[in-house]
Amino acid sequence: MMTAGAQTAGQEPAPATTRAALLESLREKKAQAISPPRRTGAERGLYEFRERRLLERFLAGWHGIHPKIGGLVTGSGFAAGAEFRRERLGGGLFDLRASTKFSLKRYQKQELQIGFPRLLKERVFVDFTFTRRNYPQEDFFGLGPRSRREDRTNFRLEDATFLGTVGARWRRWFTTGLHGGVVYANTGPGTDGLFPSTERVFSPVSAPGLEQQPDFYRLGGFARLDYRDEPGNPRSGGHYAAEWNYFGDRTWSLYSFRRYQTEFQQYIPFFNRRRVIAFRARASLTDTSPGQNAPFYMQETLGGSEDLRGFREFRFRDKNLMVYNLEYRWEVFSGLDMALFGDAGKVFSRRSDFSLSGLEGSYGLGFRFNQAKAVFLRVDLGRSREGMRFFFKFGHVF
Amino acid sequence: MCFKKQGVRSQKSRSWLGSVLLAMAMAPAGGVAQKFLPDDPIPLDRDDRNIPAPRRHKLSDYYDFLQNSFGSPGDRRPRTAMNVNTLGETPDSAWFTNRHGRRRLPIDELVRGPDRGSGPADGPWKIVKGKNEGVTPGFRIEDSRGDRYAIKFDPRGNLEMATSADVIGTKFLHAIGYNVPENYIVYFWPGRLELADDATITDTLGRERRMDRIDIQQVLNRVASVGDGSYRAVASKILPGEDLGPFRYYGTRPDDPNDVFPHEHRRELRGLRAFSAWLNHDDSRSINTLDMLVTEGGRQFVRHHLIDFGSILGSGSVSEQKPRAGNEYVWEAGIAFTRLATFGLWDRSWILMNYPRHPSIGKIEAERFRPELWKPEYPNPAFVNCLPEDAYWAAKIVMAFSDEEIRAVVNTSRISDPRAEDYLIECIRQRRDKAGRYWLTQVISADNFRIGAGGLHFEDLAVRYGFLKAPPGYVVTWYRYDNARDRKVLLDRPREYAASPIPILAEAGQGRPGEYFSLRLQRRVEENAKIPKAAHLYFRRGAGGLELVGIERDE
Repeated sequence: MMTAGAQTAGQEPAPATTRAALLESLREKKAQAISPPRRTGAERGLYEFRERRLLERFLAGWHGIHPKIGGLVTGSGFAAGAEFRRERLGGGLFDLRASTKFSLKRYQKQELQIGFPRLLKERVFVDFTFTRRNYPQEDFFGLGPRSRREDRTNFRLEDATFLGTVGARWRRWFTTGLHGGVVYANTGPGTDGLFPSTERVFSPVSAPGLEQQPDFYRLGGFARLDYRDEPGNPRSGGHYAAEWNYFGDRTWSLYSFRRYQTEFQQYIPFFNRRRVIAFRARASLTDTSPGQNAPFYMQETLGGSEDLRGFREFRFRDKNLMVYNLEYRWEVFSGLDMALFGDAGKVFSRRSDFSLSGLEGSYGLGFRFNQAKAVFLRVDLGRSREGMRFFFKFGHVF
Repeated sequence: MCFKKQGVRSQKSRSWLGSVLLAMAMAPAGGVAQKFLPDDPIPLDRDDRNIPAPRRHKLSDYYDFLQNSFGSPGDRRPRTAMNVNTLGETPDSAWFTNRHGRRRLPIDELVRGPDRGSGPADGPWKIVKGKNEGVTPGFRIEDSRGDRYAIKFDPRGNLEMATSADVIGTKFLHAIGYNVPENYIVYFWPGRLELADDATITDTLGRERRMDRIDIQQVLNRVASVGDGSYRAVASKILPGEDLGPFRYYGTRPDDPNDVFPHEHRRELRGLRAFSAWLNHDDSRSINTLDMLVTEGGRQFVRHHLIDFGSILGSGSVSEQKPRAGNEYVWEAGIAFTRLATFGLWDRSWILMNYPRHPSIGKIEAERFRPELWKPEYPNPAFVNCLPEDAYWAAKIVMAFSDEEIRAVVNTSRISDPRAEDYLIECIRQRRDKAGRYWLTQVISADNFRIGAGGLHFEDLAVRYGFLKAPPGYVVTWYRYDNARDRKVLLDRPREYAASPIPILAEAGQGRPGEYFSLRLQRRVEENAKIPKAAHLYFRRGAGGLELVGIERDE
């Protein structure tokens, strides 16, 4: 309180005054010793970090070129690369993105994308993508749900895909589109010396396409209905997608197949969205005409950080796949959600096996570190009959 | 994160605290201190003396958050607010102007708030700067009069929410006494927007480039539209003067000689905790304040503002308010670890709160609101220091808003759904009563003292508002007060009076000019009730009779 308090011991007497004069003298005194505001070292660092947008600049790079960390398939080892990205070129008409990534295990991936995302007031989009992959040690355990862990082999997968897509955004939450393109694929001996190369263990009968890899043309369509509240970290809503593709063997007419994929995601919030039950069901069915077969390297895989988290990546592979994921997510604080999860799924060769019997299961615990609207880092610990798996991934699982 | 340096800053703050106390304790002639000086109580703190221009100083938002969440900056010792006068009131200053709490504002003044006009002038709006980065897209425009406004929008799916919160917050906080910008609700068609020749926009990398029509469309794509193709926004008039950056809620600005009271010990900043609780202003952080260098009457000085009320009431600015807001700091270690360890089976009760679905007002409720437990985003040093007497001062002002006035202020935000508007008004009303009920009963709420016919008149505010029953009586004890030695001498035995007014003791009424008297006033309560708290009043015999010069309340 602005009172002329108690007597101060040892203090020299001062003349009687007024409150206003007291305050004035106080201000006079400060006026003799003013100094500019200063930042502490930590504050200066954080201030510059924000003001200079160092993170954004790091991510955006130099003249559109910026570094990329990770982004290759799990098991490829530490990966890094560079991406060139420019938006609103051609008077705002199109965006351009080109990237190349390499990993310590010599995985490579290059991508080029030219997108026209803002046609007809952003209702129509057209996209052209070229992707080239060279993965020298992809795991293969054999086809079917009863493949054995001991049969682990590896092979080199090289492919190049040209794909064009035209789509329509009917509503903010509803998109449909068509795509078409060509796929050039090649396989070869794996480079992981710890495990045999695939062709040493499996034959073209048990691994169709092992000896000869045709070129494909690809036609397809898709529809997506997405009303999740925040796609980067959904707490309510759903995402339903259906996609159909036809892969036509252009070389020998032996490996043509059709693929039907559906995905169903639902998020049920409770306790003011601080708890979420997240459910995902995904199925992929491959259909071939008599005399045709889908090559093993293009068949669906199950296991790893995205679906069956108690198993190694690509642990199961076959023409068809079904997988269910259920997560109970709870917020620890704004920056961290945790999750208890259970996964179940299987691969199978015949449509008649499309049932809930024979599912492989895993369960575990996850940590999800959040930004404002998205999970940027995920640590999942999964357990299954084959042991414990630990995943450290950027981005959400679903 | 290391906050060792903060120790230095705190020390600096404490050294200023010491200076202030020293100055406050300056002894008068004779080598003794006086509790009351001749011009007490002062109604005005002249912190508008001419000063050299301080330097613009922006704060680091990250540092501000981390420092306040994980550190404890400022002086946290419990002590009476340093800028209050001897009556325990807040003098007018460059921080605060007593308005509704001192003199009831007519409704038209309340609803006008800080507005001096009617918003952007008719005609095209020239966009001079755009903002499409971050979470709150918007524009800065110049109207045909040359006035500049920041245009802020509602998030998609919550038309009217952030804009109405901004306007309601502005009106209430202005009526309370804070300096706030003029904020107007506007509706416009995109065709009204023109690009100034030198219009720029800041991209995600902080780089400025020429703005074009696509940029305008991209901003508009990210915000709520009315449905007929028009847009609703808040036009926030750019504050006059030179932007000096935000103020902190602790310490003082080292280059402003007028800024002598550590902010964590300023009454209006401590009391802001109670206003913020009432209005759920959880984003009451430094980043939402602004110091402006203004020139008035030939003097250049710093005026301190609160800005940006988009995250107030049920609005979280870019989305509906999170239920955590007001119930928990963003980071509370004990709670976080308990949630983690119990797999989320344990949690605070706020996660069970139900909110009616009103997209135009977001998430706010009054049923579970507990003013004393309310929390902003981080432990704001001034809020942490808020003592019962600070909150009592604020609660008096909160309670000064009648139901009719609350409705009138909310009406200015032009919420189109009457059910939503009614619900919001009811929430504000109930939260007002809860704030009043709690904080007006933490100290003795006898107030509005005046000497008139029959003696000393007063009101017991807690009784007036129905928060407490009228006591059987008030126990009064008179003293002679030695202002030089801060000593009291009993003049009479304690006497009990049923109610206001209380007769003036003859000795006090006939004292010599310059003599001081003190009166201890407390409620008489029934047996077994907790010990009642007292008010200590100080009177000075002036030429015209006894003058009330000081009030202290037991806590």
